[in-house]
Amino acid sequence: MSKVRVWDPVVRVFHWSIAGGFAANALFDDAEGKLHEWTGYAILALVCLRLIWGLVGSRHARFADFPPSVGAAVGQLSDMAAGRNHAHVGHSPLGAWMIYNLLLSLIAICVSGYMMTTDAFFGVGWVEELHEILVTWAEISVILHIAGAIYESRRLGINLPKSMVTGYKEMP
Amino acid sequence: MSILPARTRTISVALIALIVLQGFCGIFFLTDIADDIMEYQQPGFSLVHTSLELIANLALLAGAAVEGVFLAGLLRRQAHAERALSAASGALHDLMESYFRDWGLTASEADVAAFTIKGFSIAEVAQMRGSAEATVKTHLNAIYRKAGVAGRSQLVSLLIEDLMRGTLHTQQSPRVDAATSGVQKSGMNG
Repeated sequence: MSKVRVWDPVVRVFHWSIAGGFAANALFDDAEGKLHEWTGYAILALVCLRLIWGLVGSRHARFADFPPSVGAAVGQLSDMAAGRNHAHVGHSPLGAWMIYNLLLSLIAICVSGYMMTTDAFFGVGWVEELHEILVTWAEISVILHIAGAIYESRRLGINLPKSMVTGYKEMP
Repeated sequence: MSILPARTRTISVALIALIVLQGFCGIFFLTDIADDIMEYQQPGFSLVHTSLELIANLALLAGAAVEGVFLAGLLRRQAHAERALSAASGALHDLMESYFRDWGLTASEADVAAFTIKGFSIAEVAQMRGSAEATVKTHLNAIYRKAGVAGRSQLVSLLIEDLMRGTLHTQQSPRVDAATSGVQKSGMNG
């Protein structure tokens, strides 16, 4: 058992504020209200910060540390299918795909949401529909993300949600 | 981490894409149908139409689930075959996989059994699977118990026996063989 420092504070604060912001806007607040708008702007700002941090941040925060790789993702699925337990120190290949999916979805949700407030697109049907479909997509992704984190924690014997709080992974 | 042949990789990626697409559409339309059912008192509501929609979407999701099971089987098979050496290993693999199914081995146990039959030591298997040696030993005990054999050499001879018999009576299916010989062996031990 060795304790490895993996997630810097920026990654952790980003993760949990995005989780809170998305939950607030998708589930709790009034979609027509000012709070919904401001939460949306905050999420967009956070995502932009994360994109910059992905270039200049600490080792496991950089995009170069978790490139979108088809081969590695299928390899991780094979490990799951064969019950093998090769743990990844940083983001796992499937986790990496989920991150890119969520970042892009959030940007698209924020942009379509912003469009609904502009004069040009206010009340336009397809913009509203796009916004809602994207939110459904993101909600399903979040559920998959949580299920994946729990499944991988059990498979590998590493508490992954805890590591996103403390910043340390306890590698077996 | 295993390096997969290009063909398996292409099939896997295509299957994943299908599963994601079908899964998303299925869930999306289910929420849509749920909204329709909430408004069943509206004049436009048709029970027959909504029921058919519901069945179609459940079938879509069931299709995605079947694809998932198929994908897992494909990847597991590929994982066991990745260190195959000769042409004869194709037949041996089919036989191995059918035994594993008959014995009801878990994914991890089947993986350990495949490595063991190929002659890897406990330490080597542990290293390749990224698990502790004690875990591999536990898996091995379960494998021997389920297969009704005393140890590694008996496990291997079970397969060799079947392969040799297979060349004499080719019409006999190895699956039936595997089931009966497994029962006989466990009967003798217990």
